[in-house]
Amino acid sequence: MKSRRAVLGVAGLVGFGLILELAPRIGLVPQRYLPPTSRILGTLVEQAADQRFWLAVFDTVRTWLLGLVIAIALGVVVGVVIGTVPVLRAATSSTIEFLRPIPSVALIPLVVVLYGSTITSTLVLVVYAAFWQVLVQVLHGVADIDPVARDTAYSYRLGRWARVRYLVWPTALPYVATGVRLAATVALILTITGELVIGSPGLGQEIATARASGAVAIMYALIVVTGLFGVAANLVTRAAERRALHWHPSMRTEVAA
Amino acid sequence: MRRHLAALLLAATLTATAACGSDDGGEDAASPGQPDKVTVGVIPILDVAPIYLGVEKGFFTDRNIDVSLELAEGGAAIVPAVVSGQYQFGFSNVVSLLLAHSKGLPVKVVSNGNNSTGEDDKDFAALMVKADSPIKTAADLEGKTVAANTLQNIVDTSVRASVRKAGGDPAKVKFTALPFPEQPAALAAGRVDAVFVVEPFQQAVLAEGGRKIASSYVDAAPDLTVAVYFASQQLIGENPDLVARFTEAMQQSLSYADSNPEEARQIIGTYTEIAPEVIEKVTLPKWPPDVNRDSVQTMADLALEDGLLTEEPDVNALLPGTE
Repeated sequence: MKSRRAVLGVAGLVGFGLILELAPRIGLVPQRYLPPTSRILGTLVEQAADQRFWLAVFDTVRTWLLGLVIAIALGVVVGVVIGTVPVLRAATSSTIEFLRPIPSVALIPLVVVLYGSTITSTLVLVVYAAFWQVLVQVLHGVADIDPVARDTAYSYRLGRWARVRYLVWPTALPYVATGVRLAATVALILTITGELVIGSPGLGQEIATARASGAVAIMYALIVVTGLFGVAANLVTRAAERRALHWHPSMRTEVAA
Repeated sequence: MRRHLAALLLAATLTATAACGSDDGGEDAASPGQPDKVTVGVIPILDVAPIYLGVEKGFFTDRNIDVSLELAEGGAAIVPAVVSGQYQFGFSNVVSLLLAHSKGLPVKVVSNGNNSTGEDDKDFAALMVKADSPIKTAADLEGKTVAANTLQNIVDTSVRASVRKAGGDPAKVKFTALPFPEQPAALAAGRVDAVFVVEPFQQAVLAEGGRKIASSYVDAAPDLTVAVYFASQQLIGENPDLVARFTEAMQQSLSYADSNPEEARQIIGTYTEIAPEVIEKVTLPKWPPDVNRDSVQTMADLALEDGLLTEEPDVNALLPGTE
């Protein structure tokens, strides 16, 4: 069952690659601006031999993971604190709804003035965008506590910390996992966007340089790499989710089916 | 009240955590014997080959300057970064700087950047049309659309100079903003009637059979200084010695690059992704050691005439002193 899904997934990807191979070859799109897949992959192999490429990969992964970790830590702590204190929750909900939809990229002019074209600038964008994904999920998770379980905890006079540990956290964990998965993708998007637009070091900046050099094949090869990162992020977060939530009904039913 | 507090706290935490992330790129006060660390904001184009060459040849370390070059995507981010002190020096075209200066930003030119070749039809930038276009000269652009990488800047000002020189009315030419990398495709697809491209995109348009109708940087002023290196007034006031040494090192770098074009071509391959066979073919700009003051004055006059500037700019205040 599982292997069949994997085969289908790979087949879909190969089919997509074939279409992009054929479209330029039969002249649907000019080869100069969209090289066939084989050429892009060939260029990717050449890039892999270049130290500069790996430096860019390192910079991107570092910004991405650092931003993600900061966003998750902040999102979980702030979410649990706000979520468990009803007064705070009521007081902050409209502010959160105001700040959350602000696109992170709208902050680019601000961070450029504050931090220039450094990794810090991109990091601010990444943290800002990813933070809300986690926070909102945590808030939902904390709100989802079973009233009977909560009353039981109070009857047993569990302390504040014990309630967070044995009641709030297990309830919120599936939501946190979803938040992390969403945040991982959003953080990757913002990392590349920041590097591309602000020019902080990393794959995004290399894409911009390739574009400014008219090196179309290199540009697409680097874009393919960012896509691979996205796939990897999804696989890793899903695996981590299964591991952390193996006890949870949603995971158990998935295995049973 | 509480929600304001929460928002403030949140903003503060976000900023604080982000700030501790990495290098804050600020200038390091030079301790005796230590080289001055400076960051220079540049763009990944041919024009900045001399500074890369100068760093490689040690012209900056000879003067106790430790240069790190940062590629900024497009020039727009460089001016604010220099003014805020993120970069000590930056690379910018002269019209952008004239505009920044006229808006009261404390910037001052410290070195020449690059000039047109001064030869018609043989410049590193050109006004180009498709092979089968009916447009023969810049005057035929009346009522037509020309792609420029940014509007109200050096490109459209220079193109208007070409139109004027060819006897046309520059006010009748329409400009549309399009980044250089997109221009060859837009021209080939007929989305614009003409493009103004710099290398390596001049080669891309030529490869598609495009035709040069004018060398606008040559038409705008003889031996036009296209771009320069600049610093903030603050840095010049605080550390005139550093600025003087930077200027000297730049002059040496510019002269070296100008007289060793093969080495310049070679170094271009290290900081851009331009294909080696294209680097062989591109027309390099000229790199004289000193700013062509007359050409900057001419650009200022043109910018005033075309309405980019509302009042006569003080070119001498922007340019380095005459000694």
